[in-house]
Amino acid sequence: MQTGTKISGIAHLGLIAIAIFGGAFRSEPLPFEVREVSVISSEEYAALSNPSRPPEIAEQPTAPSEPEPAEPVAETPTPVARPERDPVPPEPEPVPEPDAPEPALPPEDAATPDVDRVAPEPVPTPPQDARPDVVEQTEVAPEEGADIPQEAQQATAPEQATDRIVTEAVETAPIRSPRPPRTRPTAPTPTPVAQAEPTSEPEPEPAPDRSTAVDAALAEALAGPAAEPDAPVGPPLSAGEKEALRVAVSQCWNVDVGGRSSQVVVTVGMSLDQSGKVVGNSVRLIDSQGGNDQSVQTAYQAARRAILRCQKDGYDLPAEKYAQWRDIEMTFNPERMRIK
Amino acid sequence: MSFLNKFITVGALLALAACNDPSQLGGGAGGSGSAGGGIGAAGSVSDPTSVAYFQQAVGDRVLFAVDQSTITPQGQTTLDAQANWLIRNGDYTAVIEGHADEKGTREYNLALGARRANAVREYLVSRGVSGTRLRTVTYGKERPIEICSEESCYARNRRAVTVLAGGLTG
Amino acid sequence: MKKILASLLLGATLFSSPLAAQDGPLRIEITEGVIEPLPFAVPGFVPESPAAASQAEQLTRVIAADLTGTGLFREITADAHIGQITDFSAPIQYADWKAINAQALITGSVGVSGNRVTVRFRVWDVFSGAELGSGLQFVGSTDGWRRMAHKVADQVYSRITGEGGYFDSRVVFVSETGPKDDRRKRLAIMDYDGANVQYLTDSSSIVLAPRFSPRGDKVLYTSYESGFPHIHVLDVGNVQQRVLEQSEGTMSFAPRFAPDGQTVVYSLEQGGNTDLYTLDLASGNRTRLTNAPSIETAPSYSPDGAQIVFESDRSGNQQLYVMPARGGEARRISFGQGRYGTPVWSPRGDMIAFTKQNNGRFHIGVMRVDGSEERLLTASFLDEGPTWAPNGRVLMFARETQGAAGRSSLYSVDISGRNLRPVRTPDGGSDPSWSPLQQ
Repeated sequence: MQTGTKISGIAHLGLIAIAIFGGAFRSEPLPFEVREVSVISSEEYAALSNPSRPPEIAEQPTAPSEPEPAEPVAETPTPVARPERDPVPPEPEPVPEPDAPEPALPPEDAATPDVDRVAPEPVPTPPQDARPDVVEQTEVAPEEGADIPQEAQQATAPEQATDRIVTEAVETAPIRSPRPPRTRPTAPTPTPVAQAEPTSEPEPEPAPDRSTAVDAALAEALAGPAAEPDAPVGPPLSAGEKEALRVAVSQCWNVDVGGRSSQVVVTVGMSLDQSGKVVGNSVRLIDSQGGNDQSVQTAYQAARRAILRCQKDGYDLPAEKYAQWRDIEMTFNPERMRIK
Repeated sequence: MSFLNKFITVGALLALAACNDPSQLGGGAGGSGSAGGGIGAAGSVSDPTSVAYFQQAVGDRVLFAVDQSTITPQGQTTLDAQANWLIRNGDYTAVIEGHADEKGTREYNLALGARRANAVREYLVSRGVSGTRLRTVTYGKERPIEICSEESCYARNRRAVTVLAGGLTG
Repeated sequence: MKKILASLLLGATLFSSPLAAQDGPLRIEITEGVIEPLPFAVPGFVPESPAAASQAEQLTRVIAADLTGTGLFREITADAHIGQITDFSAPIQYADWKAINAQALITGSVGVSGNRVTVRFRVWDVFSGAELGSGLQFVGSTDGWRRMAHKVADQVYSRITGEGGYFDSRVVFVSETGPKDDRRKRLAIMDYDGANVQYLTDSSSIVLAPRFSPRGDKVLYTSYESGFPHIHVLDVGNVQQRVLEQSEGTMSFAPRFAPDGQTVVYSLEQGGNTDLYTLDLASGNRTRLTNAPSIETAPSYSPDGAQIVFESDRSGNQQLYVMPARGGEARRISFGQGRYGTPVWSPRGDMIAFTKQNNGRFHIGVMRVDGSEERLLTASFLDEGPTWAPNGRVLMFARETQGAAGRSSLYSVDISGRNLRPVRTPDGGSDPSWSPLQQ
C-alpha cells in the first residue's frame, strides 16, 4: 500500500515534471520515432562519386544498404531551460508577408530573352494574372531583395502594429498599417491559461497572447464557458466586416498554382475566441472537392497556415457580434488563382 | 562564270589560309561546306576532272527556301551541271548532305535535311547519274556554315551539298 | 445548438428581429490568395561529433539550395534566426520560428562514423505547431552526401507541396563547346542541379538527343559515328555503347524508350521520308508505325505505354498528334498559331510539353493531352526540347542565344511558368533528358 502510494507519488511527480519541463509534447507524438531508412550504400556512393573522367561512370546505385539498427534517439527531452535570449514580446507575429516582393520575371520573358535577369537565386516570380487586387495595392511594401536583414529586423523588433483591416473599409486595400495596435474593447484575453494547462503550450515563456497552439481542451476552457454567458450576438456581420475577414485571410493564403493542390477546394472549420484568435486545435478539414488524398492534405495545410498566420493577435471582428463569428467555415477555392 | 568562280575561289583560299577559319569564307562559291568525309578541295580548279573544279566551277550546292525541299530553277541549273560532271567522271561517288537553318527543332530539321538531300539525289538520278553512286546524309541544323542569326545566313545554311567521296573502287 | 439558441434570443431582444441572427457558422469563401515562396528555416544540421561538422554544414546548404531552387520556397537564413537548434532531440520553440515568419522548419542532425554518414531530420509546420510527417533517417557513405541532401530535400518538398520530389535525379545532356560552325558535342550526365558532371562520350562525332531509359540505367542517343545518324544505346553504369539501329541506306534518330524499357520508338529515314518505327530490344524486331510521305518524328510514349505523341507535318507544317502505341489512326491535338514540335508526355500523364514556333520566336509550352489548355511557359529566340522532372512539375530545356556568338545552355522552368532559371553546366548544353527519381 505504502509502496503503491510511493510509486504513485513518484509517477505523479514524474508526470508533473514532464508536464512542466517536457511541456513541449503537445499533440505531437514527438518522441522520436525515427524511421530507419538507409538509402544508399557506401559502395554505391563510392561508385557514384568516382572521378569524373569521361569513361568512368559510376555504377548506378541500386540496392539499399543494410538498414542500420535504429538508434534510439536520445530520449530525454531536455528540459527547456533555455534562457530566453530574446525576450520576444508577446506578439511574436512579425509582419506576415502576404505581399512579398515580386521580382519581375514574367513567366514568358516576353520581349527579350534577357538571360541575365534569370537570377540564380530563388526568384519568386510575379504572380501575374490571378493577383488579387487587394494584395496588389499593398505591394508598396518594398522589401525587395532585403530578405535577410529584413528578417533579422523583424525578428528582433517585432512590429507592434497589427495589419488588421479596418472593419468597414472594404474598399480600402489592406494596408500594412503603421497604426498602433488597437485595443480591443472586449475580449480580455485570459492570460494565465497557458500556465494553468501544463500539457498545452510548448512555450518556455508564458505567452499569454500566443494562442495558436493552445489545444482543444484549453480552447473549451477558454472559449466555452467564458464565452457562453456573455457572448454578445449582435446583428449579422456586415458585408464589409465579412470582406475584411476574407481579405485578411487571403493575404496569408499562399497558393501553389502549379501544384495539384491548386485543383482542390477545401472547407476548413474553426472557432475563434472573443479576441478573434483561433482556438487551439479547432482548425479542421470539413470538406474538400477534387484532388487525391495527398493534394487535399496539402491544400488543407495551406489553408490552415493562412488562418493561423494571419490571425496575428486576433482577427479584427466586431466584439459585439461575437456569436456571429465564433464558429467559422472557410472555403478556400483556388479556381481563380489557378494557371489556366 | 567559271572565271568569276575561280577568282572567288582564290580569294577564298587565301582567306582560309590567312585565318584558318572556314566561317570566314563568307559562303560564296568557295569552301567545301562539307561536314563529313569528302576529299576536300583536291586538285586544281583549272583541271575539269578535279574535285576543286566540281566544287567551285560546277557548284557543289543548292539552296532551299524556308522549310522547303523543292529544287529551285537555279538549283536545277547547278544540279544539271553536277549530273554532267558526275557522268563524265564516273570514278566518283558522292554523299549528298542536307542541311537546315537554326530556326527549327532538332529532330524536324534532321528530317528536313534528309528531304533536301534526297531531293538532290533524285534529281541527279533523273539526269542519268546512277543511284548506287549517291548516298544521302542529313545534318539538320548541326553544321551551319554561316553563323549569323539573319536570313542572309539562314539562306546559305538551307542547303544540300554534293560531297565527292572518292573513287568508286576506293 | 445552445449557443445558437442563445444567440437567437439575444439577437431578438437586442434588435427585435430573430432573423438578424447568424444561422450556423459564419461562412466565408476565399478565392484570392498570394503566390509567393514559402519562407522556411533550416538551421544547420546538428553535427553529432566535431568530425561531422563540415558534412552537416554542406548538407544543410544543399538542402536549402534544392528547396529555394524550386521557386516555391524562400530560405530565412541563419543570421535572422532567433532560435538555434543545438540538440536535434530538443523540443521545438515554435515562437522563435514564428517570430521570424518561418512557416516551415527543418531540423536535423548528422553523424559521421568512418565513411558512413547518418542524417536524421524532421519537418515542422511552425504555425500549426505540428510536425509534418515523421522523423526520417538516411544512411550512406560520406562521398554520397549530396544525394543524401537531395533525398532529405525531396522529403521536405513532398511533405509541404504534396508533389513527388525530384532532387535526387540526374540529367543526361549534350555538352557543347566551340562556335556555331565548329561545335563539339559530347554526352554528359550530371545531378539535376548541375553538380557532378561526367562525360559519357568524346566529341569525335556528333551526338544528339540522349534519352534515359525508364530506370535511368541506359541512354539512347543519336550518333554520327558511322558518318550517318544512327541510334546508339549506352549503359550508364559502365559507359559501354553499341549501335542499336543501323540499317543500310537509312538514317535513324529521335529514339525514346517505352515505359516498359523493352521497346524503343524512333524515326527512320528512307529515301527522304521519315516515319516512326519501334524496335523490340529482346527480339530485334522492327515495326513500322506510320507510313506517310510526311515527316513523322519526335515520338514520346504516354506513361502507361498505350499511346504515342509525335510531331508530323502531314497537315502542311509541324503539328502534334497522338496515336495508339502500336500505330493506327492519329489524332491531331495542336491547333494554335504556329508550329509545334518535340512533344513529351509528362510522367504524371496529364500533360504534354512541346516546343512551339510562332512569329519567329520559340516557346516551351504545355497542354493537356487532348490539346486543350495550351500554355506557353517561355519565350526566346530559340527555346527547344523540354524534358520533364520525374514529378511532372518542372521542365528543363535548351535555350540558344542569337547571333554569331550564340550559345546553347540549359534552363528549367516550373509548369506554372514561374521560376525560369539557368542550370549551371561547365560548358554549353542542349538536349537535356531528366532521369527518374533515383532509388
